[in-house]
Amino acid sequence: MSRRSSRTLLNAVGLLATLVFAFPVYWMVNTAFKGPDEIQTYTPVFVPTPTLDNFAKAISQPHFTDFLRNSVLVTGVTVILAIVVGFLAAATVARVRFRGRAGFLLLVAVAQMAPFEALLIPFYLVVRDIGLYNKLPALVLIYFIFTLPFTIWSLRGFVAGIPVDLEEAAMVDGATRFGAFMRVTLPLLAPGLVATSIFCFITAWNEYFYAFVFMTDAQNYTLPVWLGSFRTNFGTDWGATMAASTLFTLPVLVFFLLVQKRMVGGLTAGAVKG
Amino acid sequence: MTEPQALGLARRPVPGSAVAPSRRVRRLLRRALPYLAIAPALVTFVVLLGYPVLLVVQTSLQHFGLKQLINGGATWVGLANFQTIIGNAEFITVVIRTFLFMAVNVALTVTIGTLAALLLGRLNRAVRLLFSGAMILAWATPALTGSVIFQWLFDSKLGVVNWAIGSLGIFGSWLNHSWFDTGLSTFAIITMLIVWQSVPFIAFSLYAGILSIPGELPEAARVDGASERQIFRFVTFPALRPLLLVLTFLSIIWDFKVFTQVWTVAQGGPAGATVTLSIFAYITGLSRSQFGIGAAVSVIMVLLLLLVLVPYIHRMIKSQDEL
Repeated sequence: MSRRSSRTLLNAVGLLATLVFAFPVYWMVNTAFKGPDEIQTYTPVFVPTPTLDNFAKAISQPHFTDFLRNSVLVTGVTVILAIVVGFLAAATVARVRFRGRAGFLLLVAVAQMAPFEALLIPFYLVVRDIGLYNKLPALVLIYFIFTLPFTIWSLRGFVAGIPVDLEEAAMVDGATRFGAFMRVTLPLLAPGLVATSIFCFITAWNEYFYAFVFMTDAQNYTLPVWLGSFRTNFGTDWGATMAASTLFTLPVLVFFLLVQKRMVGGLTAGAVKG
Repeated sequence: MTEPQALGLARRPVPGSAVAPSRRVRRLLRRALPYLAIAPALVTFVVLLGYPVLLVVQTSLQHFGLKQLINGGATWVGLANFQTIIGNAEFITVVIRTFLFMAVNVALTVTIGTLAALLLGRLNRAVRLLFSGAMILAWATPALTGSVIFQWLFDSKLGVVNWAIGSLGIFGSWLNHSWFDTGLSTFAIITMLIVWQSVPFIAFSLYAGILSIPGELPEAARVDGASERQIFRFVTFPALRPLLLVLTFLSIIWDFKVFTQVWTVAQGGPAGATVTLSIFAYITGLSRSQFGIGAAVSVIMVLLLLLVLVPYIHRMIKSQDEL
């Protein structure tokens, strides 16, 4: 097979793979904009006559504003906590050699492997004992513990990826070690901080299991519980479910795209060479 | 490691100003600083994570039901909970099922992820952007949303998949075919869902790995007359090996204990045919309020996972200096 025709074939495979990967999301959005007639039909409609009825129905669900506020609150506090605590630890292990550093890194690695699915029972008992059962701080606490190991691991990588030579150069020019870190490394670290925050955001935003088990009152639910609220014994309202899913996925998608853009173009490329 | 060799610290002149604390205090502070900085994280791991880990072990050795939850006074029963579980024929089935499910998911995810990464490198710019965009869509989709979408795609009456299979005209009408009637077909859908959502991470990571291989290497091999397959085998693959190892390792952890997708798609049904270990722990522990037995299941689950990961952990400890 000639090089050109094999390239064409590969591109065709690429397009097919694109269809396969995009289809479920396309079908979610597509359904979200359909009226009942276009959903309740045996021959699927691929290009709907768009209507916003499903979205209106989804956000007029009882307690929607509570769910939204809870999700934003829990997610926001989790991200801030994880980034502050994680950054302190990550910058330290990446830049300072101290006794116990290897042990600490091992602890982080082990913590990252902690199967939270297996810790449901003890967390349930602890949260009950300290009076946080059915309260939002319980979720913040658990999501913070969840995201911290990865946050440290990821930020450590980003700090280590910035050549220490840059800081040393600034120090030769008279900056203090702290000043050099703040003025040279921190700005270069911005993409890493953004990327890591986004990871924390997504983890906390998407978490369903603990939110479902630990929050018993409707006003304490987070958004994931809302997605399941369009099911009754009479069947599922697929239009509203897909509209809710679309709204729920949208911020995640936007953040994802943000990282993609910022991660491209290595900021330090060519800063230190030869 | 004798002296904390804070990079560049030793070379810094200590300012001899009168207001500056004495050298001794400064030196002490400098030594304590790294520990102060990692302290919040350390406390989180040791206390906030460590205590629940101890508690799950403790609970697994106790008779702990709804009565004990309300009144306290759980009694120690030694390994009785473990004996109960291991004597349960269903449990052995669940363990085997979990391993099979994990193996299939990891194998598919890593293989398809590798192929997708190699494909990304060979596409025209426009197609590559499209394919990346589609994978980002799949990757960004929350696990829960994914479950809901796949249930809709495979809905027996109005699902687009049954319509598509029916309109191929080869298999007859698939209208009303229910995918969630048998364990195997339910698992097939859960697997498709998990693979769909996990491939992008693997593919993008490996693609970044491929890009970091100096272009001269495959070029030189090509000049020397190597085929594409040989280039992959002798140049690309060895360079990607450490990364592949980590990705496989992560996939094993994720797929072994996955809960959300398995639970939201089928709640362990039909008739318990898709109950994996994490579902089993949840059902016995919380739904049936047998906290002691549920905790014991969780402990066994972690031990099994550790057993699978021994070679990886060994490697990790060995390469600690590179961290």
